[in-house]
Amino acid sequence: MTTEMQIDSYLTTLRTHLGPLTIGEREEIVREIAAHVRDSAEESGASVETVLARLGPADELAAQYRDGLLIRQASRSISPLKLLRATLRLATKGVSGVVVFFLAIFGYLMGGGLVLTGLIKPIFPANTGVWFNDERFVSSGTLFPAPAPPAHEVLGMWYIPLALTVGSLALLFTTWAIRTSLRISQRWQARL
Amino acid sequence: MAKLRAQLAGGDQPDHWEAQLRKGALEMAALACLWQGRLYGLEIIRFLETHSSLVLAEGTIYPILTRLKAEGLLTSEWVEAEAGHPRKYYSLTEAGRQRLRLMAEAWTSFSGGLSRLLEPVLAQKENYQ
Repeated sequence: MTTEMQIDSYLTTLRTHLGPLTIGEREEIVREIAAHVRDSAEESGASVETVLARLGPADELAAQYRDGLLIRQASRSISPLKLLRATLRLATKGVSGVVVFFLAIFGYLMGGGLVLTGLIKPIFPANTGVWFNDERFVSSGTLFPAPAPPAHEVLGMWYIPLALTVGSLALLFTTWAIRTSLRISQRWQARL
Repeated sequence: MAKLRAQLAGGDQPDHWEAQLRKGALEMAALACLWQGRLYGLEIIRFLETHSSLVLAEGTIYPILTRLKAEGLLTSEWVEAEAGHPRKYYSLTEAGRQRLRLMAEAWTSFSGGLSRLLEPVLAQKENYQ
């Protein structure tokens, strides 16, 4: 293979793996890396193979750009889908990512569940609420069948504003926590 | 699971810890290269090698520069060079200069404090030798 062909093949692989980026961003990256390869070979007199080896595999380089974009976009988003996708990517890279992912799932389930039961309460008033037996907590949420006496529901229609407020706060907090983790994680993505 | 455990164990190894430390400093180091004027990617890599002991996989710096630009800390421009192809030069924005100043202050006070803390550790090692 001639040196031109080696460079072309590297850049083609890079371009292919930069799929999710816009054409403009993609071409700018390819142009910059192409300039790097030429300059680096000229400056050091090193072979194109050495220069390309020092850059690292093209698909790995592309993955660093893609992860950066995924995390950057997600850390500005409030969409649970985008946030969870970025968190999942983070989870493939280390223990702390796994922890963030499970906390995110837990936060969304808890917040979403509370909001949902708050909305269901008007439809199934007898089956939704918080039940106590004397001073002892029995159960909460939407239950079929509802807990039998002597357990009794304590909140009544207050369940609705309470569940909606606490649920929304849990969702907000989860969103904030994921975005903060993503932002911090960007600093630790570099490969040495 | 095996991978998870390996990574947990890796947390205790000094070389893993050192790698984390370098990664944490890389963003500041890249910004610091540009304090005195614009540079292109390869110049930044060489600058890091000669002015600090930060040697990195060369590909690493480019995604970082892209991110710093997306965060508004850097701007870039393509400049025609004698080499026959244009080069992408990066320079600090006002926000980038501000961030770097804050980072430099935090870093200096942090490392100064830790150095005092570590003085006895290093002194004792010399006595043993």
